Amino acid sequence: MAEASKVIKITLQSKNLQCKNLHDYLKTLPTEILDRLYNHPTTCLAVYRELPEIAQHYVIRILFVEQPVPQAVVASWVSQAYSKEHNEVAQVLSSLRVWQEAAIPGGLPGWIMNSAFKRNMKIALLGGGKPWSMSSQLETDSKPRDIPYLDSYAMERWECVLHYMVGSQQQEGISADAVRILLHAGLMKRDEDDGSPVITREGFQFLLLDTPSQVWYFILQYLDTVESRGLDLVDCLTFLFQLSFSTMGKDYSTEGMSDGLLVFLQHLREFGLVYQRKRKAGRFYPTRLALNIASGQSRSQLDMNREGYIVVETNYRVYAYTDSNLQVALLGLFCELMYRFPNLAVGILTRDSVRQALKSGITAEQIVGFLRLHAHHRMVAVGPPVLPPTVVDQIKLWENERNRFTFSEGILYSQFLSQADFEVLRDHAQDLGVLTWQNPQRRTMVVTRSGHEEVKRFWKRYSKGAG
Amino acid sequence: MGGPKKTKKDDNSKKWKKRKRDDDEYVYAEEELVDVGDGGIPNAAKKNVESEDQGAAEDEYGAKDYRSQMILKTDHESRPLWVAPNGHIFLESFSPVYKHAHDFLIAISEPVCRPEHIHEYKLTAYSLYAAVSVGLQTHDIIEYLKRLSKTSIPDGIVEFIKLCTLSYGKVKLVLKHNQYFVESPHPEVLQKMLKDPVIQECRLRRNIDTTDGSAGNPDDFITQVQDKKGVLQFGTKQGISSGVVPKEHGNVAPGDQTDNKPAEATVPEDITNFYDKIDKEDEDDEEEAVLKTVSFEVNQEKIEVLQKRCIELEHPLLAEYDFRNDTVNPDINIDLKPSAVLRPYQEKSLRKMFGNGRARSGVIVLPCGAGKSLVGVTACCTVRKRALVLCNSGVSVEQWKQQFKMWSTADDSMICRFTSEAKDKPMGCGILVTTYSMITHTQKRSWEAEQTMNWLKDQEWGIMVLDEVHTIPAKMFRRVLTIVQSHCKLGLTATLLREDDKIADLNFLIGPKLYEANWLELQKRGFIARVQCAEVWCPMTPEFYREYLMCRTSKKLLLYVMNPSKFRSTQYLIRYHERRGDKTIVFSDNVFALKHYAIKMNKPYIYGPTSQNERIQILQNFKFNPKVNTIFVSKVADTSFDLPEANVLIQISSHGGSRRQEAQRLGRILRAKKGAIAEEYNAFFYTLVSQDTMEMSYSRKRQRFLVNQGYSYKVITKLAGMDEEPDLFYKTREEQSQLLQQVLAASDVDADEERIPGEGPRTGPAVHRRVGNMSSMSGADDAVYLEYKKTAFSNIKHPLFKKFRT
Repeated sequence: MAEASKVIKITLQSKNLQCKNLHDYLKTLPTEILDRLYNHPTTCLAVYRELPEIAQHYVIRILFVEQPVPQAVVASWVSQAYSKEHNEVAQVLSSLRVWQEAAIPGGLPGWIMNSAFKRNMKIALLGGGKPWSMSSQLETDSKPRDIPYLDSYAMERWECVLHYMVGSQQQEGISADAVRILLHAGLMKRDEDDGSPVITREGFQFLLLDTPSQVWYFILQYLDTVESRGLDLVDCLTFLFQLSFSTMGKDYSTEGMSDGLLVFLQHLREFGLVYQRKRKAGRFYPTRLALNIASGQSRSQLDMNREGYIVVETNYRVYAYTDSNLQVALLGLFCELMYRFPNLAVGILTRDSVRQALKSGITAEQIVGFLRLHAHHRMVAVGPPVLPPTVVDQIKLWENERNRFTFSEGILYSQFLSQADFEVLRDHAQDLGVLTWQNPQRRTMVVTRSGHEEVKRFWKRYSKGAG
Repeated sequence: MGGPKKTKKDDNSKKWKKRKRDDDEYVYAEEELVDVGDGGIPNAAKKNVESEDQGAAEDEYGAKDYRSQMILKTDHESRPLWVAPNGHIFLESFSPVYKHAHDFLIAISEPVCRPEHIHEYKLTAYSLYAAVSVGLQTHDIIEYLKRLSKTSIPDGIVEFIKLCTLSYGKVKLVLKHNQYFVESPHPEVLQKMLKDPVIQECRLRRNIDTTDGSAGNPDDFITQVQDKKGVLQFGTKQGISSGVVPKEHGNVAPGDQTDNKPAEATVPEDITNFYDKIDKEDEDDEEEAVLKTVSFEVNQEKIEVLQKRCIELEHPLLAEYDFRNDTVNPDINIDLKPSAVLRPYQEKSLRKMFGNGRARSGVIVLPCGAGKSLVGVTACCTVRKRALVLCNSGVSVEQWKQQFKMWSTADDSMICRFTSEAKDKPMGCGILVTTYSMITHTQKRSWEAEQTMNWLKDQEWGIMVLDEVHTIPAKMFRRVLTIVQSHCKLGLTATLLREDDKIADLNFLIGPKLYEANWLELQKRGFIARVQCAEVWCPMTPEFYREYLMCRTSKKLLLYVMNPSKFRSTQYLIRYHERRGDKTIVFSDNVFALKHYAIKMNKPYIYGPTSQNERIQILQNFKFNPKVNTIFVSKVADTSFDLPEANVLIQISSHGGSRRQEAQRLGRILRAKKGAIAEEYNAFFYTLVSQDTMEMSYSRKRQRFLVNQGYSYKVITKLAGMDEEPDLFYKTREEQSQLLQQVLAASDVDADEERIPGEGPRTGPAVHRRVGNMSSMSGADDAVYLEYKKTAFSNIKHPLFKKFRT
């Protein structure tokens, strides 16, 4: 009378690239770092800007209140119908340590605002305080750089990184440091045979993001490694936030920056977030990549993406008005390319080419998102929908084709000694409605996880009674 | 791309030659029958520009890299196209000069795909031949292409165009006063030709005693300055002077001007200038014809030899018919009725045909339902000589007669039908409508039919209209030509494509493609219905799928067609559309399925064995009886069943991967619908496929043509509301397994697609025979399919014989 049960457990989840926004990132930081960050008005302002609208109201309302405010009072500011939103917002503010719980005399629970945050938020809004480290005066640059120049410079630098990732041949190469970040971020991994970096599935997904999201994701990964380079995370973050509030086309002095920050500045320079003519130039220009960096993927309205260049036709043809190898390489991820003209690449979306992309970890959503993001203005003019719906559907169907298994956990019962035993247990499981599968010839059956206990108990009782 | 295509072409040409030998038994007819011996096709036409770019480097992504071969022009943004070294041309449809470029490309190349934004065309030897035959010059083609292109034109393309056009179109074979002349505006070409001894032989000298002319003396040519004639005008007032056309043209021009005005600044001047020039040439070919032409007369008996020789000399003769000066054949008295108004594209296509006051032979391609018959009728009314209309079924013979009566002044006494059922008295009539098989069949005819045939053979026809010209195999076509003698031939079709690539032969059998309409454009302008195409995925039920995986190929078909979820989807769709008040046609190639579906749902059905009377009765009921909203038909209804009321089409089984069938079926519901402009779509085309079966890949194949015309198929994985629908059949497992038993019990013959044995005229209505031909001619270029096909063939034609064998 042997009963063997085995848990069959298959988890199949597609690992998707998680792109955190500013809050998600800050939440992961230890509290003391958060508190130190709030010592700078720029950080407070950046955090404030990214707060949900209701939270911004709360902050302004209690900014000048010097004592804890009863939670019930705060809750009464919004109507009952929106209590769900209220709870979420309160949760956000707590997790960011913008306010903390505090008891009011009388024992009622209340909120009190983080004092550092309060102080520096006031400075940010009303002025005062120490001058920002970048704001020292400079003589005018003899060779000033205009905005278009900076834009093209930034894009060129950034595309170097992307070029490296797609492994296209014509590129200048990037520093070992940058490679290390890519490896750390899991966007690339060392090949098992020759140790050279190769792109991972996360890397493919990364490529299809829009540029601001890419930069933000990359910088977050960089910040993870900052401590190990002996740089101070708080300094770096503060500097980044300062940069994000700087003005395009204006030059800033490096004077008064610590050595650590100067190293950081050189890294930013490599990725194209700032422009410096020479390493020791003493001045730098922020580029569009650095501006509004903290808004991350949530707002991609910054005009970083050059004009859309992709035309998708109902017959699955893809035409890309581009001479950039990078853009063609990106299309090549999921298109079969047919022709290259001097300013046009012609490709076609086929089942095979899309499946190839899906296999390498790109999702249908990302392909569609990429095509939509870079759609040619003709497509936008004709739309919405911007892309032919049938093509979008088809790409999704191709993805679904691959995900036709549904997995459910279950317990396998096998090795019954007699057909009668098997049938008794099977019928019982069936009556309970927990039988997933059975095979009378082999006397095996599978019951759901939740039904396992019940069936087991029954079996114990039954076998005792029989034996 | 170049590689595989090329080998395929080679294969075809081999097959082609082999077939030719089989055909030797036939006697070839005179006039333009170029398909004789090895010189059947001019050498240049055999050239395949696809192979031109073998050397093109591939870039790291596997694309053909042409960047090194062309230089981008600085003002490329205002120019609309790219020309690839392999002959493919890409055109921006949103360019300000789109209209100019489009007209031009239609004339010189074949459209490959024409969706919304960027169109693809392809230069082929045939398309260039067609361009030349409608009057374009080599120099102009190259020059205009250069101006339109965003980049420099690859040298290979220039070479190719020269090769294909320089010698083409220079000489014409003209029939005037019932004498044949070889005519050319280039005396030097004629001189060169006359040096050839074979051609000298063919020359007919009437005035030999007066001028004892030595061959090759240019003075000897009949020089002629053609008098100006008005451009032919199509439309209501046939006889009236040509003054209307320029005026009308004048009306169009300012319109264009205003259209282009905002964009004017961006259009490079050279393009507009040149366009005007070409446009003018196109419109007023007459002016050009004022040029001196020289000609010599040829001996009528030696026409065939002459044509063959001319092709060898790389100067294929273009055939033209100067019907106005034909005094030998009597005029017939027909005109268009005042109510017949031609749509712009119909007029354009006819202008290509009668561009210089003479009739050119060629093919006009218009989508189904876009009014092909009116084009045919107008052409007949323009020529006003005896006309012969050939179509492919008895039903369409009736429909053609209707069309003639509707659009022209012809009445019953002038129109003679000649089919196995209806034989009118032919004597004295002006228009004869018949079927291909009626003319070509070789078995013994009734005395009456024999008389008609003899009469038909004796006539000299002014114009021959070939309906659904893509369906006739070259062999049959040659037979037609041996029997019928006509001065010019007009082919009409919606889908100039065949799975066996033999369509190119038509270029030399009938003539070049004169015009091809853009489906999407006609749809936008409301000339044809706006169709929503959908592919409905029906999951195979587990029981059916198990059998499907285990059984032999022929039975597979039956299993996926009889899939219960497909049945339920069909039933649901029919009910859904009946409630909307739509008229639905359901197509099934498989007769077993057809009968089963129709009987189970209690709907009328038509297939091969249905008699002509019953057919007409069912169709009449479908048209007029509000109780009959759905009919089931087999593939006999693929072409030429004119059902203007139908606006929903459901396809439950189809003929393999045939793109043509798909397009033809879509054509059944394309006729523009009245009063439904408000809706985004006013017709629906469903294809039901069983998931995970061969049908899926067939379906993808079939859709290619329509997808290239800009149609898009919406995939429906689940029909919303189907679960709520009460009493659909085959809901329970028991019912489903009963159905499965029936399917498994069905014989192999049932699994077969509809095939009609025998070719005799008495075995059934004419429609049958065509069907047999079609199934053997199309959809056979894929390996899986071939295998399936083979099993279909190995089944003996007649169930009776099967008994003997087993």
